[in-house]
Amino acid sequence: MTQALEGFLQALSAGLLIGAVYGLMCVGLGLIFGVMRVINFAQGDFMMLGMYAAFYFFTAFGVQAAFGNTFGPFVAILLAGPVLAVFGYFVHLTLISRVSGMRTSSLEGEGHYAQLILTLGIALILQNGGLLVFGSVLASIRTPLSSSAWELGPMFYDVSVFINKARGIDAVVSLVTMLLLTLMITRSRIGKSLRAAADNPTAATYMGIDVDRAHRIAFAIGTGITAIAGGLLATNYPFHPFVGVEYVIVMYAGVVLGGMGSIIGAFWGGMTIGLVQQMSTLILPTQLQNAAIFVVFLLIIFFRPQGFFGRMVERT
Amino acid sequence: MLRIEGLTAGYSAIPVLNDVSIKVDEGQFVAIVGPNGAGKTTLFKTISGIVQPSAGTITFEGHDLLAIRPAQRAHLGIAHVPEGRQVFPSLTVMENLEMGAMTEAGQRDWKHNIERIFEWLPILAERRGQFAGTLSGGQQQMLAIGRGLAGSPKLLMLDEPSMGLAPTIADFIFERLIEIRRQSNLTILLVEQRVAEALESADHGYVLEAGRVALEGNNQTLRADDRIRKAYLGM
Repeated sequence: MTQALEGFLQALSAGLLIGAVYGLMCVGLGLIFGVMRVINFAQGDFMMLGMYAAFYFFTAFGVQAAFGNTFGPFVAILLAGPVLAVFGYFVHLTLISRVSGMRTSSLEGEGHYAQLILTLGIALILQNGGLLVFGSVLASIRTPLSSSAWELGPMFYDVSVFINKARGIDAVVSLVTMLLLTLMITRSRIGKSLRAAADNPTAATYMGIDVDRAHRIAFAIGTGITAIAGGLLATNYPFHPFVGVEYVIVMYAGVVLGGMGSIIGAFWGGMTIGLVQQMSTLILPTQLQNAAIFVVFLLIIFFRPQGFFGRMVERT
Repeated sequence: MLRIEGLTAGYSAIPVLNDVSIKVDEGQFVAIVGPNGAGKTTLFKTISGIVQPSAGTITFEGHDLLAIRPAQRAHLGIAHVPEGRQVFPSLTVMENLEMGAMTEAGQRDWKHNIERIFEWLPILAERRGQFAGTLSGGQQQMLAIGRGLAGSPKLLMLDEPSMGLAPTIADFIFERLIEIRRQSNLTILLVEQRVAEALESADHGYVLEAGRVALEGNNQTLRADDRIRKAYLGM
């Protein structure tokens, strides 16, 4: 009895912690899709770059020396966010803007075909370029916290739950980032203009909002957010230049679960995936984690095709 | 204030507007009337930069409007209240009004403007926290007008504010517009299918038919014109 309860609570807490980071990862993609309606296949590879950026900040750029082994990685991860945001800004400026935004709004399919090919191309270049530059050896951002835990309890029935310290801090960083982003989107002038540009690009132009600039900002922030999530994951999971492919599918599942276009929905979508992944280990072998994710995904989509927070109505 | 000369514009290769010339002076209320498909909305979209013209010029207060990027045109003082309202459905009423006030003038006069807008259109004050997508058609139209006014525009362009509304609500909105104009002296360019009402309140009118200006004149001459009386006023 105690053992089963302990196992359940352990899986639940692990699911919530990893879910918070998955949620953030999905939010980056959800923001880009929600504002621009661009399907970005390269999002996983942007995340991979975020992981390497955090890795090199930590090891090669003195963050380790300045902040130490314990908290240095988190400083490096938070630095990787803005750096990848700038990267995303320029990717949009030089490439994505050519096949999206106001210039394609009158085209057939709103330029989606070109967007698919372009982002897939960027993904391939980043993966193989990453292999050339970073090599194929697994890298990881180690902190002593990754291998230590807080013990909650013993509580009722003598149950105690162990919280991995690195994952605990990952989840807190993720939630704080999410909170700041939500405040920015709902309260600030720039956030409101992003939402207006997403609702109706033409009317936004009539208001004097530069829709292409709004897209660029959304793309930059979305890239930075996913990069931070990538760095957080890297404190527990080793990574390599092709790691993006493993996560991009989870990202899309999360965004679709939450409801295409909803940013808070993307967070809960990612959270759901984290929970299902960890809870499934209670009854299924670990190799079936991802299968469990997609079975649950299909079930939810079957009963609620618009996702948790999606609207059935079409945009005007 | 606004001068359109020899404007030809359309989608793909087929021109919707053919050699259209229109003039709006400061303080004037100009109405453009005409049947469906005459090119009225295309004319507005060309002024706002959503449709590219193939010939002709548009100048606004001496600026060559066609050389100015679409999003910058609002900042010159042109407010476009589009056909079908096009409010931002997932933003609240208040946020929609804030979006109208993105221009420098709108930022500067925000407090004053919002007071006046709520005075003219009190339903917006009542619904300020509600999502615009949940408003009725008439309320959305009032929001679209309020959003246009929030930017402290010099020229207010209204594209069929009566479209899809019950006649009593359309009448109410028209009456509000007249009142807003009386109090603010705003220059207004109106596109309407309700020809009688539009010509009655406007100083100057244009009749657009199949992409050309078929007729123009001041209030009296147009309303006295036989063709107008037969085709549009049912007399």
